[in-house]
Amino acid sequence: MALNLDRRHFLGLAGAGAGAAALSACGGPSTTGTTAGAGAADIDFSGVKPAASIDFWTNHPGKSQDVEKAIIEKFHAKYPEIKVNLITAGANYEEIAQKFQTSQAAKSALPGLVVLSDVWWFRYFTNGNIISLDSLIKQLDIKVDDFQKSLVADYKYADKQWALPYGRSTPLFYYNKDHFKAAGLPDRAPKTWQEFGEWAPKLKASSGTQYAYIYPALAGYAGWTLQNILWGWGGSWSNEWTMNCDSAESVAALQWAQDSIYKDKWAGVSSKEAADDFAAGITSTTISSTGSLLGVLKSAKFNVGVGYLPGGPKAESGVCPTGGAGLGIPSGVSKEVQLAAATFLKFMTEPENTAAFSAATGYMPTRTSADMGAVLAKTPQIKTAMDQLAVTRVQDNARVFLPGADQEMAKAAAAILTQQGDVKATMAGLKTTLEGIYTKDVKPKLKS
Amino acid sequence: MTRQLTDRPRAVVEAKSAPTPRARWSARTRRDFFVFLALALPNLLLIAVFTYLPLFNNIYYSTLDWTLGSASATVVGFENYVTFFTSPDAAEVLGTTAVFTLVTVGGSMILGLLVALALNSRIRGTTFARSAVFAPYVLSGVGVGLVWLFIFDPGYGVLAWLLRGIGQQSPQWINDPQLSLVMVIIVYVWKNLGYCAVVYLAGLQSLPQDVMEAASLDGANGFRRFLSMSLPLLSPTTFFLLITTMLSSLQAFDLIRIMTPLGNGTSTLIYEAYLQAFGAFNRAGYSAAISVILFAILLIITLLQLRFVERKVHYS
Repeated sequence: MALNLDRRHFLGLAGAGAGAAALSACGGPSTTGTTAGAGAADIDFSGVKPAASIDFWTNHPGKSQDVEKAIIEKFHAKYPEIKVNLITAGANYEEIAQKFQTSQAAKSALPGLVVLSDVWWFRYFTNGNIISLDSLIKQLDIKVDDFQKSLVADYKYADKQWALPYGRSTPLFYYNKDHFKAAGLPDRAPKTWQEFGEWAPKLKASSGTQYAYIYPALAGYAGWTLQNILWGWGGSWSNEWTMNCDSAESVAALQWAQDSIYKDKWAGVSSKEAADDFAAGITSTTISSTGSLLGVLKSAKFNVGVGYLPGGPKAESGVCPTGGAGLGIPSGVSKEVQLAAATFLKFMTEPENTAAFSAATGYMPTRTSADMGAVLAKTPQIKTAMDQLAVTRVQDNARVFLPGADQEMAKAAAAILTQQGDVKATMAGLKTTLEGIYTKDVKPKLKS
Repeated sequence: MTRQLTDRPRAVVEAKSAPTPRARWSARTRRDFFVFLALALPNLLLIAVFTYLPLFNNIYYSTLDWTLGSASATVVGFENYVTFFTSPDAAEVLGTTAVFTLVTVGGSMILGLLVALALNSRIRGTTFARSAVFAPYVLSGVGVGLVWLFIFDPGYGVLAWLLRGIGQQSPQWINDPQLSLVMVIIVYVWKNLGYCAVVYLAGLQSLPQDVMEAASLDGANGFRRFLSMSLPLLSPTTFFLLITTMLSSLQAFDLIRIMTPLGNGTSTLIYEAYLQAFGAFNRAGYSAAISVILFAILLIITLLQLRFVERKVHYS
């Protein structure tokens, strides 16, 4: 093919290109200066009338669509002047975040209220995508003191409250009671991983399952659950803003995990969802979110036991991270919408509604005054999750505040747990990556 | 001679009697022009708004340090390109893209040709076989990905069940980055070979039968006829498939997204661009730079194919 590009055509193309480039430069973000977070200052809502309709974006954590609908119906009965549209904005926290970020970029179609996970809210804060709730909490008299303190504190930054807890969870240790009984093991979760290391061969031999324990899927939230092992061995992904995932303690922890798969051969790694693998009987034990509890109890054809996460050689307690999602209000919508959203947020997190949400999903009640009597009578396992809350630990900064860190941690975990990669070298590489993310994407935004 | 004098070339006659520019822009021409505008402008506008504007927008964004969701950005020139080409990820992403593209294009075309040869023979059930081979191509990539994900699941997948039947453990198709790439390639080739097969089949059926019969009479066996006659005569089909499957492979997204959401081992250029902007990182400017690199690669490959490969094509 000959390319007949004469001068006239060339000039025409160049002109079209320049025009399009000039046109394209008109759209997108502002490059004339930094935009301070829109939610940085408290907003005055006095005299504002709530909007007649708001969108509530959710991924229905813990298959909560029905209970969310029921709560919205109750809200409509109490506040007929505000209509809440329940929008399925994604299948998980990442998809909902993707839709939210895209709407931010498009500057349109933002919701009044949005579900935001532990790893996303801080990014929304640094981008100025969400407002601080302090003035709304005051105006609507939201009883923040009645919320679980540690769960509320998770969304506090720069002395402001950026979200309130909603579908909050911790990981739980799930075990097959029938397998434990057949192996002659006590009917409880192991106190430490060393203890489980002694139990595992017996468990595998007597149950005939593929694995005595299955690590959560790496495409899930590997960085979240692996904190349990890291902390038990005295390690972590990071200490404040210092990335120390290559410390001797962290390396020892993940070496132990690798050995459980390749040397001792009693553990495996889930491909999709560890809770489903457990319920299907592929493994005798696993760690999964409290949000999976009701699903597991419903689908498992054996007696399910749950317990605290095991500790390690350096720490037997305080080895369980909190997790899950909260609710936030976008900065890019009108004050009227923000006020209506806050009214719904208040209603959504009231004690009886948080109890109903817990009963339907297994997530922890976020209010201390929630009457859980009926719920616990029906599903006593939820009590374990509630009690474990007292011994939880705030997640490592690297996992929750660094964009993409969870993904990098999952890749490192894949190299160690599925490819038998060198643990020290892998963690050293991860440290470099995490430091790069911190320096480029987070540190500059923390200065202001 | 007389004829030559009186029968002057038409161009000379037309040149002499050519109307003035004003006269040329007659009412009819004007009306035709407006009809042309009425018909063409909507399409040109659509192409400008939905193809060229995003393209130039993307090029502009590639010069920004912009976090998706943030209202502000910093102009950084070519820094995103420098970052990409100097990062260890570049080699991995480009390597994955090359492996994925070469294997899927080669696999789809070779297997497609073999299937087409089988379907071209006069045996019973070829109509059903043609439909069966082509069906995966028109299925939704998301659906195909979900079904194959179940087949490959090392815990309770069909493949694991079959392997357990012969006393073998299933490989970690989903968690192992190298096996993930193999898994996605297998599914991609399975889904797309029907397209190559149908196009090759059409090519095979349009081959001149008299020439093939003559070769047969001259003593050329089936393999010889295929190698020396069918294959060269199929070169326009091969050329067409080479371009379309390569462009399609370089833009493959749905299967990778569904089967390996983290892109661990399967991050091709287009998926890396997606992950960087819409995944966990939200680096919209950096992602735009990767998209521009992909665009440049696609453009170069297409031009090279048009420039060099087409020369070797026999059109008849």
